[in-house]
Amino acid sequence: MAAQAKHDWADDEDLDETTTATIDLPPPQKITNKDGSTTIIEYRYNDNGQKVKTTRRIRFITHREVVSPRVADRKTWPKFGLSAKDGAGPAPDTTSVGENIIFKPSVNWRKDAKDESKDPNAQAMKDKLKDKKVKCRICNGEHFTARCPYKDTMAPMGEGVDTADVAAGMGDEPAAAGAGAAGIGKKGSYVPPALRGAGGAAGGAGERMGGKYGERDDLATLRVTNVSEMAEEGELRDMFERFGRVTRVFLAKDRDTGMAKGFAFISFADREDAVKACNKMDGWGFKHLILRVEFAKKAA
Amino acid sequence: MRPILLSGHERALTQIKYNRDGDLIFSVSKDQQICVWFAHNGERLGTYHGHVGAIWTVDVDPTSTIIASGSADNTIRLWDIKTGKNLKTWEFPTAVKRVEFNEDGTRLLGVTEKRMGHLGTIVVLDITVDVDAEQNDEKALTIVCDESKATVAGWSYLSKYIIAGHEDGSISQYDGKTGDLIYNIPIHELNMAITDLQWSPDRTYFITASKDKTSKLITAHDLEVLKTYVADTPLNSATITTKKDFVVLGGGQAAMDVTRTSARQGKFEARFYHKIFEDEIGRVRGHFGPLNTVAADPTGKGYASGGEDGYVRVHQFDKGYFDFMYEVERERQNRLG
Repeated sequence: MAAQAKHDWADDEDLDETTTATIDLPPPQKITNKDGSTTIIEYRYNDNGQKVKTTRRIRFITHREVVSPRVADRKTWPKFGLSAKDGAGPAPDTTSVGENIIFKPSVNWRKDAKDESKDPNAQAMKDKLKDKKVKCRICNGEHFTARCPYKDTMAPMGEGVDTADVAAGMGDEPAAAGAGAAGIGKKGSYVPPALRGAGGAAGGAGERMGGKYGERDDLATLRVTNVSEMAEEGELRDMFERFGRVTRVFLAKDRDTGMAKGFAFISFADREDAVKACNKMDGWGFKHLILRVEFAKKAA
Repeated sequence: MRPILLSGHERALTQIKYNRDGDLIFSVSKDQQICVWFAHNGERLGTYHGHVGAIWTVDVDPTSTIIASGSADNTIRLWDIKTGKNLKTWEFPTAVKRVEFNEDGTRLLGVTEKRMGHLGTIVVLDITVDVDAEQNDEKALTIVCDESKATVAGWSYLSKYIIAGHEDGSISQYDGKTGDLIYNIPIHELNMAITDLQWSPDRTYFITASKDKTSKLITAHDLEVLKTYVADTPLNSATITTKKDFVVLGGGQAAMDVTRTSARQGKFEARFYHKIFEDEIGRVRGHFGPLNTVAADPTGKGYASGGEDGYVRVHQFDKGYFDFMYEVERERQNRLG
């Protein structure tokens, strides 16, 4: 005995269309295609009052299933309990269709899933850094340069600095500067003028138009070149403040990208400090580049 | 495959059962009602009202005439499937955690909770599979579990044994007629409760699920462990599929056991293992709470899972599922065919 093929409720059209503004809409069309499918074209207004044309192509497939008489009989049973008032077919408040799940058994299921779940970018970065070792540029030990016990007594080693790897470069970031620089240092994010330089304690002072501090004292200003693109004014300030009071730090930045252009000016309050800083910092390794420090020439 | 979501329950699901023809699904939950659904389209046929406590368990007799349910209101009730009428109520001193009909539907066992000074018991009731018949009031048999309470139990082939899973992780085999204890074997890790016990179609072996994150295939006759399926999360349910040699495990970290769970960390997925090779061959996601119960369609066409999230998801397998074969299986088929 064959159960009658039921009209599938999933194919039911939604009948909740509003009947308010259907006057000037073209009537819905039903076209039977050669391949047996039906094309239904409908027009309606959406919430914004725009006319929307919906074209659907539907193919009705009659699926016949032979079931036992008992099962066929059960399909005709009247509903009872909470479902007593429900009409034929599944009630939308209790039954719905979930999103499609692709389930294909596979022996190496675990491997497939893993490839999918991992973020490809994070994985690539990890792979790149996997073989890298932290290497101190001062003593070649396995620690960040900033943590080197000989940091204050020895200058960075001349050779090997150029080839210092990414990991070492990243570790070199002075910890103190990190927090302050982060505020202004996020590339690409807009910082309102009022807040610029707030994190780096007057880090943006150099960008102000001249006057406030009076005539610049070029005698105590150092020009620093070969600065890393990733440098922040706060970091430079921290580095140079060891030698004396720094009045101004200017790090040239690209207007569009926000990356440092590779040079900076550091003004000291005292020329003596500037000389000291010039001597000490020339040739200092900073972010995998060797700084070149000299006295700034008088502006033309 | 597109699962059908059944949202008739307002609280966590506790058990799902297919009838023998695979066209009806019975689901019970903690919200005190039993729902019956058509498996092919998820249409709800009806609900059964009368319990006044969380319902822990349901079972349907082999002829799909009556169902039995066990609840935290300390009763086992018998219902007419067609009309939803409550035919009979047996009262017990404690909650009923599991009911199961034997193969011919003439006997029903119930597992009662250990509480308030009462020991956990397994009771057996004689049943007449007829809507109009007067059911027997008296218990045919009572097995007292004085060591560790039984959490699950079932009838083996020909009702020869009653197999029970205990809270301490052991499995017991009782004589089906006299109720004498034959074996008690620690199968799962000590004090990891056995959470589910479901039978193969011929009831010669069964599958257990345990909080120790494993599931085992065990023979009914001598309690020999045939297969072990290792998962990475505590399991609440396990079932054996027909047509394909798979098992489906359901589980997940319960929300009360962790501070934060996301759907992925919580591992709220149905896991498919190959029954013979013990390999995990796939997962089906969808629930956003632990799976409390899984049930396989006896016709092998699909399975249903019920979660702590209150949803039942009914899945109909598609072609990729039926086509899957191990290389050795395919070779064998080629040789024979």
